[in-house]
Amino acid sequence: MNKHILDAMSAYYDVNPVDSTIASQPSTIALDNVSRRSFLKVAGIASSGLFMGVSLPSFAGSANKAAAGAEFNPNAFIHLSENGDTLIYCGRCEMGQGISTALPAAVADEMEADWSRVSIEQADGNEAKFGSQATGGSASIRKMFEPMRKAGAAAKEMLILAAAKVWQVSASDCYAENHFVINKLNQQKLGYGELATLAANIDVPAEPKLKSKDQYRYIGKALDRHDQGKVVVGKRVYGVDTKLPGMKYAAIAHCPVLGGTLKSVDKSQALKMQGVIDVVGISPIKHPFSSIGAVAVVADNSWTAQQAVKQLKIEWELGANAVYNTKDYKAQLVKNVEREAQLVTERGDIKKAFSNAATTLSATYTGVHLSHAPMEPNASVVWVQKDSCEVWASTQSPADIQKVLGQYLNRKPEDIKVHVMMAGGAFGRKFKCDYVHEAAVISEQVNAPVQLTWTREEDMRTGFYHSINAQHIQASMDEQGKVTGWLHRAAFPSINTLFDPSVTRPSKNNLGEIDDHPFGIKNYRSESGESPAHTRIGWYRAVYAIFYGFAMGTFADELADQAKQDTVKFLHNIYDANTNPEQQENTRRSKAVLDLAAKGAGWGKKLPKGEAIGIAVHYSFRSYVAMAVHVKVDGDSIKVLNVDCAIDCGQVLNTDGATAQMEGAVVMGMSLALATEITFRDGAVVNSNFHDYPVMRIKDMPNVRVHIVDSDEKPTGLGEPGVSPFAPALSNAVYAAVGKRYRDLPFNPLTV
Amino acid sequence: MSKTIIVNGTEYPIDVDEQMPLLWFLRDKLEFTGTKFGCGSGLCGACTVHVDGQATRSCITPVSTLANKNITTIEGLSDHGDHPLQKAWLENNVPQCGYCQAGQIMNAASLLANNSSPTDDEIVSAMQGNICRCGTYQRIKKAIRVAAVELAKEV
Repeated sequence: MNKHILDAMSAYYDVNPVDSTIASQPSTIALDNVSRRSFLKVAGIASSGLFMGVSLPSFAGSANKAAAGAEFNPNAFIHLSENGDTLIYCGRCEMGQGISTALPAAVADEMEADWSRVSIEQADGNEAKFGSQATGGSASIRKMFEPMRKAGAAAKEMLILAAAKVWQVSASDCYAENHFVINKLNQQKLGYGELATLAANIDVPAEPKLKSKDQYRYIGKALDRHDQGKVVVGKRVYGVDTKLPGMKYAAIAHCPVLGGTLKSVDKSQALKMQGVIDVVGISPIKHPFSSIGAVAVVADNSWTAQQAVKQLKIEWELGANAVYNTKDYKAQLVKNVEREAQLVTERGDIKKAFSNAATTLSATYTGVHLSHAPMEPNASVVWVQKDSCEVWASTQSPADIQKVLGQYLNRKPEDIKVHVMMAGGAFGRKFKCDYVHEAAVISEQVNAPVQLTWTREEDMRTGFYHSINAQHIQASMDEQGKVTGWLHRAAFPSINTLFDPSVTRPSKNNLGEIDDHPFGIKNYRSESGESPAHTRIGWYRAVYAIFYGFAMGTFADELADQAKQDTVKFLHNIYDANTNPEQQENTRRSKAVLDLAAKGAGWGKKLPKGEAIGIAVHYSFRSYVAMAVHVKVDGDSIKVLNVDCAIDCGQVLNTDGATAQMEGAVVMGMSLALATEITFRDGAVVNSNFHDYPVMRIKDMPNVRVHIVDSDEKPTGLGEPGVSPFAPALSNAVYAAVGKRYRDLPFNPLTV
Repeated sequence: MSKTIIVNGTEYPIDVDEQMPLLWFLRDKLEFTGTKFGCGSGLCGACTVHVDGQATRSCITPVSTLANKNITTIEGLSDHGDHPLQKAWLENNVPQCGYCQAGQIMNAASLLANNSSPTDDEIVSAMQGNICRCGTYQRIKKAIRVAAVELAKEV
C-alpha cells in the first residue's frame, strides 16, 4: 500500500476511534454527559474533555412514512477537547446536500462555539447511538434542527456552570460568547477548552434555553461547506476511494431482467486472464434491497475485472418480466387513466359539478422511468471475516446495510460495522444496498476485503427507477372561471411494489399528495389506475412530486388559459377557494412563494417574440417552491434563459446551501423535463451511458436566481422540493411563447 | 528497460497491462484517488487529468501510450491548493457532492492555460464535456471567470 494512503488511513483512524459503545439512552432523556473517564475507557483514545451524547424522544412517523421507508430518531455527539477543539458528528448521511455543514452549524451556534474550532466527522452506522440515520424524504433538517440546537445549548449551559464554579459566582453572572465564558462582574474570560473537563462533571440540563432568532451566529447565514477545501485538491474521500491492505477489486454483470435467474456461465476465458482471481455467482436474497442476481469477477485491479466480465459467457433465464416494453406499457397506462379506474377519494358531488359546468377541460400527462445516475456509480468495500464484517460505502441508509448483510450472513445487524462514506451523489439510489450485498458475497467467497465498483452501464441498467406514469385530469368551471370539479386519475408502478409484489396500482397513500393538494376544489374525485411493476421502483429525488407537480402545475395553466385569466391570478383564486381551516397555512405560503417568483421574474413584462415566462408552484416535503421560467423558443429548440425560484422552507439554516440546492434542482428538473428517459425493451434497460441518457450539460445552464422567504417557521427540507415546479413552469413558458403545449416528459426524448 | 511515466513530478514504472487506461493506473496502482471514475467512455469528464498540460480523459487513454509523458492530477495541480481556479472554486462555493469537481477544475485549468481570457461561449464550449449531476454549472462558469481575471493579474 502506498504511503499517502497509509497516512490517510492513519489520520482516519485517529479521528474515528474504535466504536465507543455508549449504552443506548432511555428515550426520555434529553442529554447525557458521558463522563470523561468512561469515554476514555471505551474509546481508547488519548484525549479528554466534555463528551456529550444526545438522545431525544422518537418522533412520530412522517405522513409519508411508507414512502420514506424509515423512521426518524434524531441523535448526535459533541466532543469538546481540553485544547478547545470541538468535534461534532453528523449522524445523517452526506451526499452533497450539505447536511454535514447545516446541522453541526446549528449545534455550534447554540453552543456559542467558534466555527473555526469545529471539525465535523461523519458518524458510522449506529442507530443505538445516533438514532435513525436513514437520509431521505428531505427530512434531516426538519427532524434534527431542534435536537441539535438543544445539544449545543445544553453544552453551553454546562460550560457556563463550570465557569461559575471556578469564579464562585452565580451562573447568571456569566455568559458565553464565541468559545469563551465571560464573567459579567469583572470581564474575566475562560476558554471552552479550559472548562471542558469541569463541564463534563455537571448534570445535563433537561430543558436548555434556546437562542432567539436575532442571536443566531451561524443559523440563517451563508456558510461554506465544511470540507470543500478537500474537494479542490482531490482529498475528499468517497465510498469508491476506499483502499485496504490486501484488497481485491471486483466488477459485475447483472441479470438484465427483474426476476430472471442464472442458467449457465462459462468462466473459462475470464479465468485465463492475467490478474483474475475468481468468478463469483450472486443470488438474490429475500429482501427488497438485495442484489437482483449477478456474476462478478475478482481481480487485482478494477480494469482487469471489468475486462474479464466481458469475457464471461452468461445465459440468463429471463422470466416473466421479459415482456416489459416501456413504449407499450406507457400507452396502456394512458388507456387506464382515460377510462374509469378504482376510486380512492371522493369529496362533494363531482357528477353534479360537471353537469352544471359552464366549461370543462381534460388533459393527460405522462412521464417516464428515470435513472438517478449520480456521478459516483454504486461502489463499496466489504470485508467479511469469520467473526466480523466491515463495510465502507457511500450510502443513505447504513442501518439497511446492517439489516441486509445481517440477513445474508445470518448475523446480528449490530455486528455489521458500517463506515458511512461521502457519497458522490445519490439522489435516492444509495438508500438501497444491493451493491453492498454483492460485495459481501464476493468478499466471503474470496476471503479478502473486496471493492466492488459498478460500471456506468451496470449502474444505469440495474436501478431502482423513478416510476413511469400517466395522469388524466378533468375539471369543470363556472362562468367566472372558478374551478368547481376536479377528477384526477393516476397510474404508475408504485414504490410499494418493491415491498409487496402483489401491488398492481397506486395506493391511497400514494395519491395523498393530490388528495391533500391545497387547491380549493369543492367537488373532487381521485382514482387509481392499474399499473403493475416490471422493474424495481425506487425513490428518485422529489419522487411522486415530479409528476404530480407537473400535471397539476401544467393543468392549472391550461385552465387559466381556458378561463382567459392570468395564471398567477388564477392560482390565487384557486388557493383562495380553499376553505379547509387546516390548509390555510398551505395556501398562504403557496401564494407567497408564487408572488415572490413572479416578482423576481418581472411577471407580465413585455418580451420579444418567441420568448415568454411560465410559472408553477408546488408544495412537497413540507416546503413551498415556485419557479418562473423564462424561455426563448425557436422551432423545437427550447432555450431556458432565466429561472426565478422562490422558496419557503421555514427558517433557513444555510442560505448558500439552500441556494445551491435550488440551482441543482433546476438542473435535475431540466434534465427530466427535456431529455432523460430510461427505456425498457424485452424486460431490459436499453440505455447504457451518458450518450443515450443525456443529462443536462453546462451549455443549457440558465441564469438561476433564488429568492428565500424570510421565515420564522420551523425549518423543512430542501433536497427534493425544488425539482417538481421546474417542468410545469417550462411547459407553461413554452406554451406562452409559441402556443405549443407539452404534456409528456421528457419533451424531446431521444430514440434509443 | 521498462517504460516510465511522470505523475505530479514523480517517475513511476509502467508495470501493468499496456491497455490499462491511465485512470485505473492512477487509482488502483498508484492509489491517487482524486481522479474519478464516472463513465469509462470519455463521456462525463470526471477522470480529466493533464497530459503535458493538456486536458485528457484518463479513462480512455491507455497508460502505455504515455511513456515519458508528464501527468498532472488534481493532487498535483498546485503545491498548496492555491491555483486561481482552486481559490475561485472555494470563493464561489462550487462543490456540492464534489465528485465531478476534480475533472471540472482540471479541464478548466487546461482551458485557461490555452486561453487566458475566454469568453462565456468559450467557457461553455470547453466545459461541455464535463457533467455535474448536482447541477453546479452556474457556479463553475462564475468561478472560471473569476480565476481568469486573477490569472491575468498574475501575468
